[in-house]
Amino acid sequence: MITHKDSIHILIADDDEDDRAFFSDAMMELKMNNKLTLFNDGKDLMEYLANPDIVMPHILFLDLNMPYKSGFECLKEIRADSRFKEVSIAIYSTSSSEKDIEETFIEGANIYIKKPNDFTKLKKVIKEVLNINWQFHSSGLNKETFFFSI
Amino acid sequence: MNFRSLYRNSQIFKIALGIAILVVGYIASVFYKQMQSLESSVNVITNATETQLELERVLSIISIYETNLRSYVITKDKSYLEHRFLRKGEIEMNFIRIKKLVANNPARSKDVDQLKRMIDYRFALFKETLLLAESKNPGKEQLIAKLKESSDFTESMKTFVYKTINAEGDKIKIHNDNHQFELQDSIISAFLLVILSLLILLLSFNKMNVDIKELKKANDDLQFLNHSFNNAEKIAGFGHWKIDLETKLYTFSDNFLRLLGVDPNKFEPTIENFSKHIHPDDVDFVIKSHKESLETLEPTSMMFRYILPDGDIRYIRSVGSFTRNSKGDMIKTGVNYDVSDQYKKTLELEENNKELKSINEELESFNNIVSHDLQEPLHKIQMFISRIEAKEIDLISDQGKVYFSKIKLSANKMQTLLIDLVNYSRTIKGDKVFKETNLNEIITQILDDLAINIEDKKAVISAAILPTIKVIPFQMEQLFINLISNSLKYSKDDVNPIISIFEEEIFENEIYESKIISNEEYCKIVIVDNGIGFKQEYSSKIFNLFYRLEKDSKYSGTGLGLAICKRIVENHDGFIQVSSVPGEGAEFAIFIPRNI
Repeated sequence: MITHKDSIHILIADDDEDDRAFFSDAMMELKMNNKLTLFNDGKDLMEYLANPDIVMPHILFLDLNMPYKSGFECLKEIRADSRFKEVSIAIYSTSSSEKDIEETFIEGANIYIKKPNDFTKLKKVIKEVLNINWQFHSSGLNKETFFFSI
Repeated sequence: MNFRSLYRNSQIFKIALGIAILVVGYIASVFYKQMQSLESSVNVITNATETQLELERVLSIISIYETNLRSYVITKDKSYLEHRFLRKGEIEMNFIRIKKLVANNPARSKDVDQLKRMIDYRFALFKETLLLAESKNPGKEQLIAKLKESSDFTESMKTFVYKTINAEGDKIKIHNDNHQFELQDSIISAFLLVILSLLILLLSFNKMNVDIKELKKANDDLQFLNHSFNNAEKIAGFGHWKIDLETKLYTFSDNFLRLLGVDPNKFEPTIENFSKHIHPDDVDFVIKSHKESLETLEPTSMMFRYILPDGDIRYIRSVGSFTRNSKGDMIKTGVNYDVSDQYKKTLELEENNKELKSINEELESFNNIVSHDLQEPLHKIQMFISRIEAKEIDLISDQGKVYFSKIKLSANKMQTLLIDLVNYSRTIKGDKVFKETNLNEIITQILDDLAINIEDKKAVISAAILPTIKVIPFQMEQLFINLISNSLKYSKDDVNPIISIFEEEIFENEIYESKIISNEEYCKIVIVDNGIGFKQEYSSKIFNLFYRLEKDSKYSGTGLGLAICKRIVENHDGFIQVSSVPGEGAEFAIFIPRNI
């Protein structure tokens, strides 16, 4: 159970260095009590998650197009492991193709975010996403609410 | 049913013939009976005449005998007595004959017996007279008395004989009369018989003639049919074959053999000879399938190759199925036809299809490039623009700010272009799932999405009650977004945009590209604005890809919006029209079939 009072542990896997920087800058500017861990690709992420001693993250932001292991593959592996059943997964991609949205929804992602083209918007997105009551969001999940729009 | 058709009906004719034969048989039997009775009459008459003759002969012998005896009494000449025993024998003979003649007549037999006794008694009288005459001293009176007694007895005997003769004569007379009638009956019967027989013969002959004519006609028709069939085979390029499963004999039609490239007259119809013409790679499979079907009686359908004598390879489709002939034997019949041209075309088509698929795949990857790979750097550019705007903008000179705003404008324009391109490509492939959709719901959603834009322009958009039709929902949404955005974009600066969307009844015989369209078939939806409009001559060009009328930078079009509209409407088997007067606005009309 995540509450605003707790420190929210966030992971993000994105192969794009700039995007990772944008994301952490936005988090810093938001000045929220969060812990953010960055991963360069899906392989790094999965290696980290394989360690049983880690602190379980609350939200995982997953880029789809990544070398070695795509976000889609990561999503499948994580959802196949009951250890991560409490982890909320947000797809974070440049693409907004029907196919990607449909497939990640089916594989059990919780939300689909198209990377904003504006830094202000990005901050807004992160803020909103972190404020979501995930339990409530997940129980009423459907394709319309799955695709996140500001 | 008239007589002619009765005559033509051979069943009825057979019945008539049967009846006629019965009638002839009956008449013939009557005639036979009559002939028999005639014959018996003749017999009776002959019999009676002979009896008369014999009786008279007996009388005459008695008379001769008497005369001879008298002559002897008078002359005492012994020569008169010479034949007396002969005479007695002759009478015995006569009697045997008479007995035979009257054997069938008991009354007459009795008469004859009595006559025999009389004759015997007469001969006794002769003997007594002769004894008296030969005695040495015959008493004259005694002799005369005996002679008289003899003579009287002879008379009475004569009377008796004549009575009998007359009786026979009467019988002859009766029979003679009967005979006359019978003869007449017989002649009539015979005449009838001949006439009737002749009639039947004539009818039979005629019927036979008619039947033969009909048979000949049927035969001619059959021959013509056969000829036509052979011609049809030749024209259509197919040949037929059959095998009788009882006799194991094959028959191949002439054209079948022509397809093989062999002379129909020089081909012995066996499966072995046929298989020599099948491509070596196919022959085993063909013969195996065929032989198996002869066991299972399952129809066959296969494709294989012939190698013609000139080395040409032909593609053949062969189908066969089973049926029974008139004798009840199982027959497999089939048709082989040359499908080389079709086959080659199919191959070509498959090749084209493959090419098309690879083109499509290329297009798909192009789509991915546009929608993702191109968007990624653009996204980065825009992000950095927003970062500079937020943090560094004060550090740039005024000229630099102008350049910077132009960079931002271009980046935004590129983004719009990319989004439009993705949308356009989605209308090309995309999931074309048709759903009953309420267009009003779509419009409401769009007005919501475009709310900021509408507010900026202070536009008034009114949507009347629109129909519910079967469409691809997301494409319909795209269509109305593009049309409404278009109207908003090309609005006049000084006038608030007014956009109306409504369904309009199609008036009789509206024509689009020489196709008559009716209100029953199509739903017409109109979008009217009061924008800047354009010259009507551009009305068809504006739907072309990347075609733009307004180059002014204040109209930020990509030249894709209306092209997307056109494609979406075409995806629905509909069409789109526009009419416009410059400075007064434009009217777009969409026609969507009511039933897809």
